[in-house]
Amino acid sequence: MSPKNLKVLGVYHVIFLVQNTMVGTGLLSAPQRLSVLGYSQVLMPIYFGIIATITLWPMVWICSQYKGDNLFRINELLLGKWMGKGINVLIVLHFTLLIAAIISNYMNLIQSTALPEQTTTVTILLVLLLLTYIVNGGIKTIARFCTLAFCLAIPMVYFLRWGIEKGDLSHIFPLFNFTSQEFFKAMQQGYLSILGYELIMFYFPYIIDQKKAFKHAMIGIWITISLVFITTVVSVMYYSEWQLEHVEFSVLHLFKAGEFSFVERIDIMGITFWVSLILTTAAAYLWSARKGLDSIRSKKNKYHVYFITAAIFGVIMLPVNREFQQKLFDASIYIEYIVILWPIFLCLIHLVRKKQVKSK
Amino acid sequence: MKKSIILFVLTILLTGCSDKELKVPLEDIGMVSTLSFDYIDEEMMKLTVAIPQFSPEAKENTQLFSVTTDMISKGIVEIEMQSDKKIVLNQLRVVLFNEEFAKHGRMRKLIRHLYRDSSVGNKVLIAIVKENGEEVLKADYPDKPNVNLYINDLLQPSINTAFNPNTNIHDFIYTQTSTVHDSIVPIVDKKNGIIKIEEVAVFKGKEMIESIPHDEALIIQALQGRKNLAPLALDLGDGEEDKLVLDLISNKVKMKSNKNMEAPKLSITLKMEGTLVDYVGYRGGELESLEKITKLEEDIDKHTSKQVEEFLDKLKELEVDPIGLAEEFRKHYHGKWDKEKTNDIISKLQVDVKVETSIISTGNLK
Repeated sequence: MSPKNLKVLGVYHVIFLVQNTMVGTGLLSAPQRLSVLGYSQVLMPIYFGIIATITLWPMVWICSQYKGDNLFRINELLLGKWMGKGINVLIVLHFTLLIAAIISNYMNLIQSTALPEQTTTVTILLVLLLLTYIVNGGIKTIARFCTLAFCLAIPMVYFLRWGIEKGDLSHIFPLFNFTSQEFFKAMQQGYLSILGYELIMFYFPYIIDQKKAFKHAMIGIWITISLVFITTVVSVMYYSEWQLEHVEFSVLHLFKAGEFSFVERIDIMGITFWVSLILTTAAAYLWSARKGLDSIRSKKNKYHVYFITAAIFGVIMLPVNREFQQKLFDASIYIEYIVILWPIFLCLIHLVRKKQVKSK
Repeated sequence: MKKSIILFVLTILLTGCSDKELKVPLEDIGMVSTLSFDYIDEEMMKLTVAIPQFSPEAKENTQLFSVTTDMISKGIVEIEMQSDKKIVLNQLRVVLFNEEFAKHGRMRKLIRHLYRDSSVGNKVLIAIVKENGEEVLKADYPDKPNVNLYINDLLQPSINTAFNPNTNIHDFIYTQTSTVHDSIVPIVDKKNGIIKIEEVAVFKGKEMIESIPHDEALIIQALQGRKNLAPLALDLGDGEEDKLVLDLISNKVKMKSNKNMEAPKLSITLKMEGTLVDYVGYRGGELESLEKITKLEEDIDKHTSKQVEEFLDKLKELEVDPIGLAEEFRKHYHGKWDKEKTNDIISKLQVDVKVETSIISTGNLK
């Protein structure tokens, strides 16, 4: 493929790709994950946003040094063929696990709220089918789907109003009522709710205006951060500290506070809308994983995406107890922290090996 | 294109391979709208469910079942054995407990069970029944469509019962687990074929300790900043006849604490605006001039602030905080706040109440 028709992502595509891959089930459980801080969690999303902006910079920088290549290729260039490939295999495996974690988390939510009397196997298959369909459309389709999902989901912010009406704003005071230990614990547990922006390292070569990519990605990040911020503020206003800690998916319970004469349970509507947000996140990861498999095997093959999807299904259906599965998923999420810090390491190597690589 | 058509047809055809549908059709589902719990002993309780009967052939419009059980789900299963329908809680509207049940502190556990259940909404209202919940549900209300609707409508927010805290499942769990609140729940009583909300139960921890009359319960609502309050009936007279009814239009509360944990002090300013709708007493026709109205306003201020102070003293004695006054201290306190701190604050609290009433109209006649 010539580099000319490779570039497909416009300004809005980049903004919404970044924004929507960050929103998954993480947003629903963010107040609970931050609950170590109790009521003082309100400002956490802002700190997350600052960290995300700081870590975004090396990602964009390293990618802009190798304009036509994604992270898989950069790994090979900088670390040598075999070591690079080894790392890439790990990344693809990790992405497979991560997508499994995202989907399985959502399925747990569906199981416990909307469909308590059914098994979810068929639902998982349908979601995976849809996922491959979106991914086969390429990165531009995913970006367009992200825009659509954003427009579908954003009206749900309105449903938070009952929580605001009933809540008590004074809960957010005192603002800094925590110890440093609590702070780091909340950081470790809560940061995963905004993961997803690191995927820019994989679709960077497709961006048309690469010089401004950092700015556009940042807009995407801060849209998400403000959404997370709003939900944590409303949760803090509406709940007691005990509820923040113990209510799973507390954001959905916020929708439960709503009242319309024509619809009784808005939370169920919320859950079903959420599938589009899950699909965008999973689709972006799946697309990256497919690219990874392409680069590992050094050829393009349209069946790669089906391999990965089958592997995801296998992982979700793994006949092990839930505890082990959960540990596996947690591990995959913590590995994601390494992926976020990875470009800093690459930047250092790049500076050291600059001449060698350039002369190649 | 061809492929996708084949896939589509396949997915439809494959549904034939699935097991026979096990879902219960809608007609066979009994949607409980009222639950009632009566105290038997520390372990057992009497569970009564009321299900609206939609079949026109049935004589009664409500189906009622009672069982003795120790757990809700177990009781529901037992009721299913008696019922012709599958019992579900998706349409639950009201949960009743009898007073003994609340006094033994068993409400929290049961409501937590309902809070956990995803099929139950959070807006299910809670009320305490003076004597026996089963009797309330089983009694005849010939002029009402059915008991479920009656109780639900009665407990809904309404301006004339503004003292009613309209406690729902979320509120109860919130106040039970909050470090600065104690729960309040309306008490209903069946008298001569009607159900009436008269009092409000005050909880300390998980146990109900006191029931307070509705005019005191109205003070709680006023201090919590509820906008639409019930018409205020006051009797200012010391010996002389001096009664009035004030229709409240707006209500504003301001609280300021001295942030001192050792000698807590709280100044409360309550601003009320209202219309004078009814007056009986010695002031009579003199109320036409503005000066007289100002004098009346001052008297109302004095009377009401005394009432509020007396009520807060009562809460201080009981060491409970249904209003959430301790929040004014918590929000300035660094460190972990717990219920003991709230109790400590309440027991030492000095309040300074200021009421500012303004009568903005007295009707059309001059």
